[in-house]
Amino acid sequence: MEFDINPYNFRLASQMWLQLIGLLAAISLVLSLVLAVARNGVGAGLKLFRDGLSGYLSDLANFSVRRVSALTRLTLLEAIRRRALYVFVMFAILLMFAGWFITDSNERPELQVSVHVTFLLTAISWLILPAVIFLSCWALPEDIRIRSLHTVVTKPARRLEIVVGRMAGLSIVTVIGLLVMGAIGLFWLNRRIPENAQAALECRVPQFGGLYFIDANGAPGVQGLNVGDVWAYRSHIEGNSRARAVWLFQDVDESALSPSADGDGQELLLECRFEAFRTIKGSETSIRQGISAQYTLTRNPREDAFGMLAVSEPLRPLSEALREGQYRIGANEARTLAERIRTAPDELRAGDYFALFNGAGSAATFLDTLELESLTAVSALFSAVSVSAQQAVQLLQQKENGARVEVPYEELADAVTALGDGLDEQADVMTEALPRIDVPLPSFHVAEYHDNEDDSTNLTRIPRTLQVKSPNSEMLARYLSGLLEEWNADGRLVSAGAVDAELTNELVSEMAISRLNAERLTAVLEAQLADGALVVDGDSTLKIADGSKWYSFMDRLIRAQELVSDDPDGWVVEKDLINDLLDSNGNLRVEVACMNSQMYLGMARPDLFIRKADQPFWKGYWKAILNIALMLMLVIVLGVTVSCIVKGPVALFFTLTFFLVGQFFHEFMVRKLAGVEEGMGTVESAILIAQHRNPQVGMDVSEATMSAVRAADGALEGVLWVFNAIVPDFTTFSRASAFVENRFDVPFYDVVIPAVMAFLGFMVPCVLIAGALLKFRELEAK
Amino acid sequence: MSEAVIEIRNLSKIYRDFWGRKKVQAVKSLSMDVEKGEVFGLLGPNGSGKTTTLKMLLGLLFPTSGEMKILGRPASDVSKNERIGYLPEESYLYRFLNADETLDFYGRLFNMSVADRAKRADELIEMVGLGRARRRQLKEYSKGMTRRIGLAQALINDPDLVLLDEPTSGLDPLGTREMKDLIKQLKSQGKTVVLCSHQLADVQDVCDRIAVLFQGELKVLGRVDELLEVRDETLIRTPSLSAEVQAEVKAVLDKHNISDAEFTRPTADLEQLFLRTVRESGERPGRRFSTEEVAASSAASET
Repeated sequence: MEFDINPYNFRLASQMWLQLIGLLAAISLVLSLVLAVARNGVGAGLKLFRDGLSGYLSDLANFSVRRVSALTRLTLLEAIRRRALYVFVMFAILLMFAGWFITDSNERPELQVSVHVTFLLTAISWLILPAVIFLSCWALPEDIRIRSLHTVVTKPARRLEIVVGRMAGLSIVTVIGLLVMGAIGLFWLNRRIPENAQAALECRVPQFGGLYFIDANGAPGVQGLNVGDVWAYRSHIEGNSRARAVWLFQDVDESALSPSADGDGQELLLECRFEAFRTIKGSETSIRQGISAQYTLTRNPREDAFGMLAVSEPLRPLSEALREGQYRIGANEARTLAERIRTAPDELRAGDYFALFNGAGSAATFLDTLELESLTAVSALFSAVSVSAQQAVQLLQQKENGARVEVPYEELADAVTALGDGLDEQADVMTEALPRIDVPLPSFHVAEYHDNEDDSTNLTRIPRTLQVKSPNSEMLARYLSGLLEEWNADGRLVSAGAVDAELTNELVSEMAISRLNAERLTAVLEAQLADGALVVDGDSTLKIADGSKWYSFMDRLIRAQELVSDDPDGWVVEKDLINDLLDSNGNLRVEVACMNSQMYLGMARPDLFIRKADQPFWKGYWKAILNIALMLMLVIVLGVTVSCIVKGPVALFFTLTFFLVGQFFHEFMVRKLAGVEEGMGTVESAILIAQHRNPQVGMDVSEATMSAVRAADGALEGVLWVFNAIVPDFTTFSRASAFVENRFDVPFYDVVIPAVMAFLGFMVPCVLIAGALLKFRELEAK
Repeated sequence: MSEAVIEIRNLSKIYRDFWGRKKVQAVKSLSMDVEKGEVFGLLGPNGSGKTTTLKMLLGLLFPTSGEMKILGRPASDVSKNERIGYLPEESYLYRFLNADETLDFYGRLFNMSVADRAKRADELIEMVGLGRARRRQLKEYSKGMTRRIGLAQALINDPDLVLLDEPTSGLDPLGTREMKDLIKQLKSQGKTVVLCSHQLADVQDVCDRIAVLFQGELKVLGRVDELLEVRDETLIRTPSLSAEVQAEVKAVLDKHNISDAEFTRPTADLEQLFLRTVRESGERPGRRFSTEEVAASSAASET
């Protein structure tokens, strides 16, 4: 069961529903007309059809809630007085003795919770289900058999109202039953789950993200390595290499944070469940500890902008330089590439040109999304390269197909050269506009064997305010230049023509910079002032003598080892998770690396999620109960509908079939129709079995028979399509239970609402059909 | 000209099996009217089509051909039921309800208000004499009681047209008499009553007009008094005559060549005897009546 489900698309669902209902209505009307004419002749048939339709519409128009409520009340009284509620007694007995059958997995609190919740929810649904199917399939046929319905239909009650009344009455009985059972069950859970596992009785609220991989060469891709598993659900990254799994969590804001465990401030919780794959056994300690992994929170616009270029080998040096922020080196790489295109264009394959088109295009698009005026020039240059490369790709394709065309390599080379020149020119602008922040977190061990551990080992708590020790030069330069620029503007750096004597103390007290580092910074400023690299501008501000920006100035100092810290902890830069680490679209990027060489970590999209503040268990529990209620109500609707036309036992058979197919085979039908499911058609399979042949060999029949068999299978698939459309997917309703059983909160919009809509989607046509079936049925036919 | 409450024209009903093959034709080209304010009897042996006709009128069955109008509306129109009361052959009511709940339930189906339902239920329970049993579930009722509550539910909406299928079946003579009195009472209120019955005596007592069906065909239709009138006999009813007076009367008849005149004492019918016994037993409990007393009492009631 996957808990990272696709978002519910209300518009698309409604559209499909309307189309299906329209089709169904049209088919029903045409079929009724044809039947009426066939049985009664044209004149009488048309009149019958017209009268029937107008009578039905008039029933709809005269629908009375009071009459329906009378029938609802009748059903309720019937259920109570006929002892249908004995099912609760069975439930109570089952719970009393449940302890005998539930394995006590003492060491795993979350398993204990899972086992109990699964048992409870399964017991609730499967105990009520038979009663519900029986009542719904038997109520109307029994009324007709003993003729008590005669006294009702000879009153002004419309048959549609009788159907609705029956459905509503049974639904209310069911809901009341569920509420009672749910309440007893919750009480039982709280009592039954041992003290040490009570804390696991919670609803985790996950926020899933998108996943892509960066391979050991730094090239991005949608998949990582396959370690040889045929059913590769997880992709792997190599340990101790540049390979990374990168999760992008969209629209992260303060709501993603939880209150800190110590009650002071906020923190971000990351929960993972990675798979470890070892190529060597490792030492015993290493087996016990598991493989090390490390999260790095990064804000990396350069990766977003230029990562796609790395897909192609010849473009990789350019991509690398740009991603490192070395724009001047990047400019040279661009010129080299241009030269290569100009002189030996055939050395590059079509795929490389495509990567250039795609990579430059995505760079242009990304730079545009930043909406910075300073970047428009560079963006235009990337765009020009992309357009030119696209043209080259198209012509190359035509050429491959035999067309005699000239590929304008020269033009493309010019565009790339222009890009190189542009990068040179705009290097400073880009440096400022595309800052990269890396916050590596302490490494942790991935639990490979869960026997003696609980999930908390895979839970990482990240404080909102991050202390980055020994940051890389770019981060340090940005931090210090930002600080100095701001203080300089406020006139706090200079006093009486020299560096302010109080600067060190102020840095220590206000910015939490250690005294050793503050002293070093003050000393460097004084030295630069003495050297003339800095000059006092006016009374109270400093100016960089060569006119460069503060960032470049600090970057130069850091590279010149002027700011090497005397503090054993090195420089510490403080970053705010929300304000500093989210990109301009509110996305949080988390990179995962495997630390041990010769080891691999396997991951799939739902394997890492942000765990938002937990919800109380009862919230998810009642949502699951609501979904069970919707499922049972749908069974009632189906049962009553079928029972309008056939007798009790037949109705029971049909309803049970609908339920079982919808619960256990719906996904199979969908997959079969989508062509995803392996295997042949029904007839072909039957022949293969009879002939003792396998699907690879195929049938031993003539061409003509083969076509006939395929045609028959095609027709059967049409039948399957109809089944697929009319049999409800009951897993829509059981999904909520799976969430709760696995201690996840039930997403309201993506799980509860689809269930409500699925119920309504089937309920409305069923009510209309049932009303029609009962209306046009003779209650006394012999 | 009187107003037709029910108009039936060329009504036919063929029962078919699952495959659409004809099994039996229950009603054949039936045409007749029921006038407003009359008590109309549908007679016929079992399988003659009278219940089928009634059920087609109610919309429980659909005619194979022909037309029916009830109170001016087609039989398939549910809104006609607003003014109809129907008592089925056996009272097929919900046995888990008590009398009050039953009437309340059917009252709701007529969209009656709470106050109206309560008032009407009191009246009807009083009328059918179920005051003591109104809180008992119907499954505890005797057949007669079930019949009474069935009748009460048929009248819950104060209908203009009452359709009664075998109204006296299962009732004791007292109940039968009350039912017949009630039918007469309904007639006196200007309501139209249509009943199906095998109990010919009952039909004769209450019906204005009858139709006799046989194998789905209408055989006889007309006023009861006209149909039953014996045109070649005269009945003279006097107080008991002495032997002398009888001889004198005989002489007069002989003079006119009437030789087959018959002098007998009239006998009361069993229904009358039963009703009287029950009435008098109530007045003098614990006594058994001698034949003489019964005869004297019959004479008294005759005079």
